[in-house]
Amino acid sequence: MSLTTTHPYIEALLKGSRDLPQSPAGWLDARRAQALERANALTVPTTRDEEWRFTDITPLTRIHFQPAQSVTRLALSDIGCFIVPEATVRLVFVDGIFVPELSAVPDSPAGVQVSTLAEAAEARSALLEKHLARHVAFENNLFAALNTSYLRDGALVTTGKNQACAAPVHLLFVATQKETAAYPRCLVIAEPGAECTVIEDFVSLEDGAYFNNAVTEMVVGAGARVRHVRLQRESLNAFHIAHCAVTLDKDASYLSNTVTLGARISRYDLNVAQNGEGAEMRIDGLALISGRQLADTHTLMAHARPNGRSVQVHKTIVDGAAHAVFNGKVFVHEGAQLTDSSQESRNLLLSGRAHIDTKPQLEIFADDVKCSHGATVGQLDAEQLFYLRSRGLSDASARNLLTYAFGAEIIDRIPVRSLLERLERTVLEQTQAAEPETRS
Amino acid sequence: MSTVLENLVNQPYKHGFVTEIESDVAPKGLSEDTIRLISAKKNEPEWLLEFRLNAYRHWLTMAEPTWPNVRYPKIDFQNISYYSAPKPKKLKSMDEVDPELLRTFEKLGVPMNERAALAGVAVDVIFDSVSVATTYKQKLAEVGIIFCSISEAVREHPELVRKYLGSVVPTGDNFYAALNSAVFTDGSFCFIPKGVKCPMELSTYFRINTQDSGQFERTLIVAEEGASVSYLEGCTAPKFDTNQLHAAVVELVALDRADIKYSTVQNWYAGDEEGRGGIYNFVTKRGLCKGVNSKISWTQVETGSAITWKYPSCVLLGDNSIGEFYSVALTNHYQQADTGTKMIHIGKNTRSTIISKGISAGRSNNSYRGLVRIGPKAEGARNYSQCDSMLIGSKCGANTFPYIQVHNSTAKVEHEATTSKIGEDQLFYFQSRGIGNEEAVSMIINGFCKEVFQQLPMEFAVEATKLLGLKLEGSVG
Repeated sequence: MSLTTTHPYIEALLKGSRDLPQSPAGWLDARRAQALERANALTVPTTRDEEWRFTDITPLTRIHFQPAQSVTRLALSDIGCFIVPEATVRLVFVDGIFVPELSAVPDSPAGVQVSTLAEAAEARSALLEKHLARHVAFENNLFAALNTSYLRDGALVTTGKNQACAAPVHLLFVATQKETAAYPRCLVIAEPGAECTVIEDFVSLEDGAYFNNAVTEMVVGAGARVRHVRLQRESLNAFHIAHCAVTLDKDASYLSNTVTLGARISRYDLNVAQNGEGAEMRIDGLALISGRQLADTHTLMAHARPNGRSVQVHKTIVDGAAHAVFNGKVFVHEGAQLTDSSQESRNLLLSGRAHIDTKPQLEIFADDVKCSHGATVGQLDAEQLFYLRSRGLSDASARNLLTYAFGAEIIDRIPVRSLLERLERTVLEQTQAAEPETRS
Repeated sequence: MSTVLENLVNQPYKHGFVTEIESDVAPKGLSEDTIRLISAKKNEPEWLLEFRLNAYRHWLTMAEPTWPNVRYPKIDFQNISYYSAPKPKKLKSMDEVDPELLRTFEKLGVPMNERAALAGVAVDVIFDSVSVATTYKQKLAEVGIIFCSISEAVREHPELVRKYLGSVVPTGDNFYAALNSAVFTDGSFCFIPKGVKCPMELSTYFRINTQDSGQFERTLIVAEEGASVSYLEGCTAPKFDTNQLHAAVVELVALDRADIKYSTVQNWYAGDEEGRGGIYNFVTKRGLCKGVNSKISWTQVETGSAITWKYPSCVLLGDNSIGEFYSVALTNHYQQADTGTKMIHIGKNTRSTIISKGISAGRSNNSYRGLVRIGPKAEGARNYSQCDSMLIGSKCGANTFPYIQVHNSTAKVEHEATTSKIGEDQLFYFQSRGIGNEEAVSMIINGFCKEVFQQLPMEFAVEATKLLGLKLEGSVG
C-alpha cells in the first residue's frame, strides 16, 4: 500500500502538533519533526497486525481527540483522594498540562531531582538529548510517534550517583475534559548505584471519552534500583495507550507493579532490555476489568547479557463481557548465557461472556539458560470454595474472598503502603460488586 | 559447551541424492490450463475440476504467509512443474543399493522385506510383494475398509470423496492448502465403515506401496460411527526428493465414537551442513472430531526437511470429543522448524492434550507455535499443554509461541513450557557409570522425548528412538 497520503484519522490527531511552540533545544525540535514524519507515514494498527490481533481500536478511531485548549482549574481538594502521603514530591498534570499549584516539589528533596521536561530542556539539555525519545522507538510505532510529535513537557526524575530516595515520587495525571487527547511523557534516570521509587498514576474526574497516550522511558544505571508502580484508573469510557521502555545496566534492578482497573480500551507495552550483565527484573501485573472493558498488556523481557534474571507474574480477573489480552515475550539473545527467567500468566474468568487471549512467548538463542513459562485460564477452584463453605461462608462471600485473594497477591507487592491499602479496598469492592450472574 | 556435544551433533548427512529421474516433466508454470490438463490426465470428473479451479482462483487472491518464524528465498510458483511425476529409477537388485543406506536400515532396524522397497529397488525382483500387498488388501476388504490412492478413490468411490474432500480443510483455507487443492496429484484415501476396528496398523501396507509420494500430496481419512484406525505416514529411513517445495494436505474426519490415530515420522533431506538445499515442507493437517465422543490423536517425529511448517490440528466439534498432539521436532545445522498444533474446542466437555518436545542443535531454529481456542459454547472444556525445548550448542534457537484464547468461563486451560540443555554434570554421571558420551546424549534425549515415543506404534517407537540417535551421531572425542 502506498503511504504518500496521511491516514485521515492520524491527520486529525496531529492537527495540533504543528502549533507547538519551538523548544529552546534545537535537537528536541528535530526529534519531534522526525516523529511527526513517521506518524504521517504510519497507519492505524488493525486486528490484522500481529501486535494488535486481539485489540480492536476502532472505537478509538471514531473520535478525533484534540489536546485540551484550556486548563481546568482544580483545587487541591479535588484531587485529595488521589494524594499519596508517603510521596514528598508530586507532579500533577491536568489533561496533559503541568499544574504547579497542585504539585509539590520541595526545594531539596533527598537524593532525587524532579522537574518538568520543559524546565530541564534548557538547563539539562545534554542529559535529555542523550535519553529523551531514545529508548521508546517511534519509527514503526504510531502511538509512540504521536506522543513524540507532541513532546513538549512531561516529568523528569533523576537520582544522582549512589543516592537513595526512600520516599516515592508521585506523578499524577488527571483527566478532566472529554474528547481531549493528552500525551503524558516521563523520563526516569537512575545514575549508577542510585535507588528510587516512581509512581505513575492515571486518574479521572471525567466520565466521558478521552484519550491518554503515554510514553515513559527509564534508564537504570549500573547497580541502580528502580521501583516502578503504575496505576491505570481512567474513566470507564476512556482510551489509554502507553509505552514504557526500560534499559538496565550491569547489576541493575527493576521492579514493576502495574495495576489496570480503568479505561474502555487500554493497552500497555512494557519493554525491558537487560543490556548489562547480571541485571534483574521483576514484573508484576494485575488487570481487574468488567463490563465492556478491554485491557491489553504486552511485555518484552529482553536478555542481551549473561546472568540476567527475570520473574514475571501477570494476573487478570475478567468479569462481565470484558476482554483481557496478555502477550509476554522473553527474548534471550545469543550469548546471554545463564539467564534465569520465569513467566506466569494467570487468568480468572468470572462470567460466561468474559474472554481472555493470552500468549506467553519464549525466544531463546543461548543454550545454557533456564527459562520457563506457564499460563492458566480457569475459574475459582471448586475445592477451595468447598473448604470455605464448610467453614460457614456463603457461596457468594467464598467466591468474593477467593477472587480478592487472587488479585491481592499482586497488590501486596506494591512497595507503597498507603497505595497498597487503598488498592486492596478497591479490589475488595470490585470483586464484591461483581455479583453472580451465571453462578448459582 | 564441550566439543563433545558439538561433535555429536555435527554428523554429516550420510547420503546424497541417489535418485536418477526418468523425466516425465512438463512445462513449468501454473494456470487454469495446467489445472485442466492435470484433471484431464487423471480422467477426473467435472466436480473435481471445479474444486481445483475454485481453489486456484482463491489462491490467486491470497498472499504467501510471512508470520512463520522461518527464512527462505521467495518461491517462484511459476517455476515449478505441477504435473511432473518423477519416478526414481528402479534398481535391479539389493546389490546396487548404496551400502551406506543399507547400513542406515540396519541401524534403524527396518524389517528385511521393507528395505528393498524403501531403497527404490523394484520390489518384485526380490520379494513377492504383490502377494503381500494383495493379502493385506483382501484382509481390509473383508471388513469393508477402503484403502487406496486418492485418484483410485475418485474413480471407485466418487460419492465418498466428494462428500468429505475439502470438508475439513476448505479450498481457500490458507495459501499452501489452496495451492494443494488446485494441483494435488496423488495421496491416500482411507475409509473405515461403521463399527469397524481396523485390524492392522495401516502403516505396514503403506510403507510398501506408496513410497513415491508426490510433491502435492492429499490424504483423506474418514472413520464412521464407532470405527477406529491407526495410520502411519512416512518412515524413519531418509527420504530423497528433488522437489524442493512440498505442500501436502491431510484431512481426517471422525464421526460419533470414532477414533483416528495418525502418526508421522518425517526424515526428508534437510540440506547440507551449510544449509544448502533441503526440502521445504509446508503442510496443512487437520482433523475434525465431528461426532460425539470421537477422538483424533496426532503423533509426529520431525527430524528432516530444511524448513518444516505444519500444525496438525483438531477441531473438537462433537461433545466429549478428544484431541491429542504429541510431537518431537529435532533440528540441526541450518534447519528451521515452525511447528505445533491448534486445538479448537467447540463442543461441550471437549478435552485436548498437547505434548511438544523441541530439540535444536547446530545453527538451527526450532519454534513451537500453538493455538488453544475455547469457544463460547465449549462448556467444561479442558486443555493441558506442555512444551519443552532443549538446546544443544549456543548458536541455535528455541522459541515458543502459544496462543491461548478462552471464551468460556467454565473452561480450564493450562500451559507450561521449559527450556533446558544437556548438562555437563548429567554427562559426567553417565560417564561415571561407564556409559560413553554418545550413548549418554542419546539416552538423555530419549528420556526427554519419552512421552511422545510412547504414543508411537511399537516398531516405530523403536525406530524413532534410533533415528534421533543417528541424527545426532558423531565422532566422540
